[in-house]
Formats: sequence, C-alpha cells, structure tokens
Amino acid sequence: MSFNIEEGRYIILGSIDGLLATLGIIMGVSVVGASNAIIVSAAFGGAIALALTNGLGSYLAESTIEHGKLAMAEKSLLRKLNNTYVESQSRRKIARDAVSSGGASFIGSLIPLAPWIFSVGSVVASVGLSLISLVALGIYSAYISRQSYAISVVKMVGLGALIVIAVQLLRIGHLVQ
Amino acid sequence: MSQIKRIVLDVLKPHEPTNLEVASAIGDIRDVEGVNLSLYEVDQQTENVKITVEGTDVDYDLVLQTIENLGGVVHSVDEIIAGKKIVEEEETLHDRG
Repeated sequence: MSFNIEEGRYIILGSIDGLLATLGIIMGVSVVGASNAIIVSAAFGGAIALALTNGLGSYLAESTIEHGKLAMAEKSLLRKLNNTYVESQSRRKIARDAVSSGGASFIGSLIPLAPWIFSVGSVVASVGLSLISLVALGIYSAYISRQSYAISVVKMVGLGALIVIAVQLLRIGHLVQ
Repeated sequence: MSQIKRIVLDVLKPHEPTNLEVASAIGDIRDVEGVNLSLYEVDQQTENVKITVEGTDVDYDLVLQTIENLGGVVHSVDEIIAGKKIVEEEETLHDRG
C-alpha cells in the first residue's frame, strides 16, 4: 500500500484542528448552559469556518511552495514549464492538499459534534469520542512516520487532554465570576 | 524521408517526473520498440540523462514533444541512425589515436 506522506501531513493537521477547536467551542458554549440547538449551531459554524480556512490556507501555502519549486526548476532548465505535465502535477498536488486539509478538518469537527447532532448532548461523550479519534490519529501518525505507536498515541492524547484542561480552566474562571 | 531507427539524445530534466516515468512515456510512443535512459549527472534541481530510442520509424517530433511535456530540454541529438538498416559507427584511424 503506497502512502502519500504530504497528504498525511494535511490529514493530521486538519483533523487535529477540526477535532480540538470544535471540542473547545462545545465545552466553552456548554458552560453558559446553552441549548442543544445553540451548541450545534455554534460548533457547526466553527466547523465550516475551520474547514474553509484550513482548505484555503493549505491552498495558498502549497501554491507558494509549488510555484517556488517550479520557478527554481525553470531557472535551472532555462525554460518555462507552463502547460507541461510537471505543471499539471503541481496544480493537482495543490488541489489535493487543500481538499485533504479542509476535508479532514470538517470530518474532525463532526466527531465531537456528533452527540449533539443526535441530541445525546453530553460534553463527556464529545470528549470521549475526541480522545478515541486522537488515539486513531496517533496510530495513523506512527504508521506514516514509522515511529513508536505508543509514543505517538500518548502525544496525540496528551494534546487533546491539554485542550480539555485549558477549556476547563476557562469554565472555572466563568463560574468564579 | 527515410525512417529513423535510432536516436540518442542528451536531455536535461527536473527530478520529477522520475526517469522511470520518462522512459515509460517515450516507450509508449507509436513505432518505438525500445528505450534506454541512463543517468549521468545529478544536480540540486535537475539531472542529465542520455536517452536512446529505437524503433521501426521513430517520430522525432513526438519524442521531443513528450520530453518537453515532461519538463525536459533536449541539449543535443548525439546520434541518429536512419534508413533501411542499422549502421553502427565505424572506428577510424583518427579514433584510435
């Protein structure tokens, strides 16, 4: 099975972003006792915004890098690479990475949101599902990087736990006021 | 015009597409029976390759177009064999010296 490492980077980046930012929104909004509909609406809005910013951000970043690479190759070859296979491959890579990043971000966002969409409405369920997804992402990350599965999973789950703790602190701050 | 049986080209190309892809693309051209691609110099952005194309009636324009589409530049045409049969280069006294 062949793996595209570049795409893997955007899948991991987008998923973590979508997963944890949406979890943060859900935990933050649930502090004020918002209804299920408000939480879904806020988190879904956040998920769309994140998917678009991740997708467009990757598109702009990859465009810069790919065009830079083409320009360097053109300088060495003393010719333009417009309308060649090389340029078309470059354009395809930019589009693929943008879709991977935006898509992974959106799918990641839906995971903590799922209990609220299905009216289960539980922060614990959102946190639990997010942590399970982070374990899966850790395994995927270790598979790509050929590193230790245990260390990779601990890193991912640790990152998730850090976000949960940070938002919990915000919750305590809110209750103190 | 007589049919081209063999062309040897000196080509400068980017690292991507790979030499495998380039050789395979040239091999897919009609009337090409075989391709040899040898790498002889690698730079940071480019690589120099010698491409030998043999066939019953090699279409040079099509070979050139394929190489250019893959981002390559033909620096020189180092050998051409055309006609009814393949004639190899003969060693002369000058070469022996």
